[in-house]
Amino acid sequence: MKLKAVGFTIGAAFGFIVGWARLTDYDVIRDMLLLRHPDVFLVMMSAMVTAAIGARLLRALHVRSVLDARPIAWTTQPPQRKHVVGSVLFGIGWSLAGTCPGPVAAQLGRGQLAALFTIGGLLTGIFVHDRIRVRREAPIPRTTGQQPTAVAGL
Amino acid sequence: MEGILTTPAPWYLAGPLIGLLVVLLLWLANKPFGALGGYIEFTEWAAGSRGDLGWRPLLIAGVVAGGLLSALLSRGWRPTLAYGSFDVVFGSALWVKAVVLFAAGVLIGLGGRMAGGCTSGHGVCGTSLGSPASMLCTATFMATAVTCALALAWMSGA
Repeated sequence: MKLKAVGFTIGAAFGFIVGWARLTDYDVIRDMLLLRHPDVFLVMMSAMVTAAIGARLLRALHVRSVLDARPIAWTTQPPQRKHVVGSVLFGIGWSLAGTCPGPVAAQLGRGQLAALFTIGGLLTGIFVHDRIRVRREAPIPRTTGQQPTAVAGL
Repeated sequence: MEGILTTPAPWYLAGPLIGLLVVLLLWLANKPFGALGGYIEFTEWAAGSRGDLGWRPLLIAGVVAGGLLSALLSRGWRPTLAYGSFDVVFGSALWVKAVVLFAAGVLIGLGGRMAGGCTSGHGVCGTSLGSPASMLCTATFMATAVTCALALAWMSGA
């Protein structure tokens, strides 16, 4: 319950900042991708640097997480083929829609109703991926409760 | 409340604030930040392969609420189907918008699911935590999106 409240609050702050910085505007994203304005790149880079410093400080100071009481930790993944293939598809979709999974939710909140088409496609894409995977591999085990470890990404 | 946020947040404010949210989520819940996971959990739940909704879909609900608040504080909440210069690039017919955005959404969902993350999950959080996969993903989707956008602008002349 507390975890859900934290998730909602962090999401609300994120949506507010994304809306305030106009990262919800098609033209802002398009101008970034056409290399006309560096601002969105600077947003991403400064966010990354801030998070990198903060996360390492938490780990170096052996800070324990407030909710799960364990030391702050994360796991990383080695690069694989699926990362390249998936990211190429993602990049094409991103440039066509002028938005990605975070900002599209803020678009909806701001009343940019075209976001409904994008979100509909997004959910369909995830569903199709999982169907294909189910058919090609073993069925996905039913997941309940929390994931065992925190993997960077998602 | 309207008109309080008249100017958009500059990058040097928005970027570090988003970075702090990544740190805050790590400190509070020991979880990596990312938007895509919320849609994945929701899809699994809707498809019946997941019993209950976790914290990730709530993060997305929060993003919707935060976006709403940002609109209320600036130009007010005015729902619209207009989508900036998308209407110039692709034309303003509603069916075109529906088809292009839905197809783009499928690529984002399928590709992001395959890559295990999106612009926030890999691009901001994963790279900051030093994940080699996230760095590869970010370089790949950035290069692809820039190439694609330039090609699209060249073809449409807009």
